[in-house]
Amino acid sequence: MAVLEKLLRSKVVIWILLVLPGLWPIWPIWVRPDPSVGADPLKFILHHLGFTACVLLATVLTFTPLRMLWPKWGIAQALNRHRRLVGVAAFVYALLHLTTHVIYETGLDWSQLGHVFQVATTKPFQLVGLIAFTILLILTVTSPNAAIKALGGKRWKLLHRLVYVAAALAVYHQAAARKLFPMQVVWIFGPLLALEIARIIRERKPKPAARRDAEPAKV
Amino acid sequence: MLIRTKKDWELPESVVTSETAYRTHNRRDFLKAIGLGAAGAALASSDLLAATGGFPAKANPDFPASALKPTAEQFVTSYNNFYEFGTAKEQPKDLANRGWKTDPWTVELTGLVNKPVKLDVNDLIKQAGGIEERVYRHRCVEAWSMVVPWDGFALAKLVALADPKPEAKYLKFTSFLDPKSSPGQAADNLDYPYVEGLRIDEATNELAFIATGIYGKAMPNQNGAPLRLVTPWKYGFKGIKSIVKIEFVAAQPNNTWKAMQSSEYGFYANVNPTVDHPRWSQASERVIGEGSTFAPKRQPTLMFNGYEKQVAALYKGLDLKKNY
Repeated sequence: MAVLEKLLRSKVVIWILLVLPGLWPIWPIWVRPDPSVGADPLKFILHHLGFTACVLLATVLTFTPLRMLWPKWGIAQALNRHRRLVGVAAFVYALLHLTTHVIYETGLDWSQLGHVFQVATTKPFQLVGLIAFTILLILTVTSPNAAIKALGGKRWKLLHRLVYVAAALAVYHQAAARKLFPMQVVWIFGPLLALEIARIIRERKPKPAARRDAEPAKV
Repeated sequence: MLIRTKKDWELPESVVTSETAYRTHNRRDFLKAIGLGAAGAALASSDLLAATGGFPAKANPDFPASALKPTAEQFVTSYNNFYEFGTAKEQPKDLANRGWKTDPWTVELTGLVNKPVKLDVNDLIKQAGGIEERVYRHRCVEAWSMVVPWDGFALAKLVALADPKPEAKYLKFTSFLDPKSSPGQAADNLDYPYVEGLRIDEATNELAFIATGIYGKAMPNQNGAPLRLVTPWKYGFKGIKSIVKIEFVAAQPNNTWKAMQSSEYGFYANVNPTVDHPRWSQASERVIGEGSTFAPKRQPTLMFNGYEKQVAALYKGLDLKKNY
């Protein structure tokens, strides 16, 4: 555990963990070509990038509840050093996902660009993805320290709560991407939901210390 | 002198098809073909079974290989929607080949017909007069397309065999049900068995086809062995795979995808670039296996998938926006 904690504190390790999933499609497309992927390689890349964005978004959101539920757990502490980095990485994958979508839908015929965005804004499934992306874009732009200062801590915090809206929209977008409900949505976002529920229950329960303070006042 | 007039759906030979390796005219195949032609020829039953789709298409001068460029065979056999064997495209090629038995295979023609019959698929092929090849465009509702050289026989021949009664208005196709061999059925990912339907005039249209093979070979399991429906002017999900029963009925059958989600999938499922899917546009399509990874080939989708001349008359007066 101590080794894992040490590794997870390292920025280099986190960077590697963030970049590696993006390189995965190289394997079935070029290294060991799989015809199931090669039939429509960009679609595979498109889905893979969206999938990775969802995983990272769900993952980064678990960091805070993990620390609140187990404040003394070293791994939770280590992970919370990288919240912003992982959050920005989720945005980068969402950006690559959207870019891939545009290339895929236009087939590089840029006269189709307008049509692609017109479709995106009229289909709820695509529009929801686009809104989630826009939220992540706003949060990324306002993630540097200077932006926190400019906005003021309270407003910044309020603005960044939008990430939960983005996560909810991502759940819908990912589920609607398939003809049948994909169970992966549950694997990706289920743990986050469980942690958030545990955190809310914990926060509602008055702390033992607070109760002791309150009791003498009653007398 | 016989001057053959081309069928309307044959494209002009402006796209030259390279001589591909999928036609294997060797002696054994030839013998099998002869064996099927002469019913009395004493070929072992296993030869006949192997021949189901495996013998080369009998050259039908009316339907020569068209000028469409077939999609590479490896993509056609590894990029499959066959939910009985998994919902991901790469799953059927694996999961449909783990002991699922498609030989022997019995097909039942039943319902409002004068000649109900239950027979082995090879006998059905014999009675239908053997196999021919047709190269058709294949357009999936998911906005991708292929070109597939199918081997099989006109559905109209099967209809003639069954001799439908006047009150038969539709054909109801039913696929196999065997949860032990089908992980998708075991997981209950759709309402099984898979059901599809056609209006009887659609079924007797010259394009409607029962395929028993592709690329001159027996139908691979993942593509719907041993026989499947091919209706090239409709989205791919109409092409029910691994048929066990064809029923002639009076009322419109409730096809599986329509029953699952009627807001997205209808009974007709005609390829139509002007009627979008609720989640994406149908105006254009990705051409499988063409272009490069970062410059994928996309082309405009054609009305009725390019078969407007042959089928448009079937839908005169029908609101295609409502009857999608």
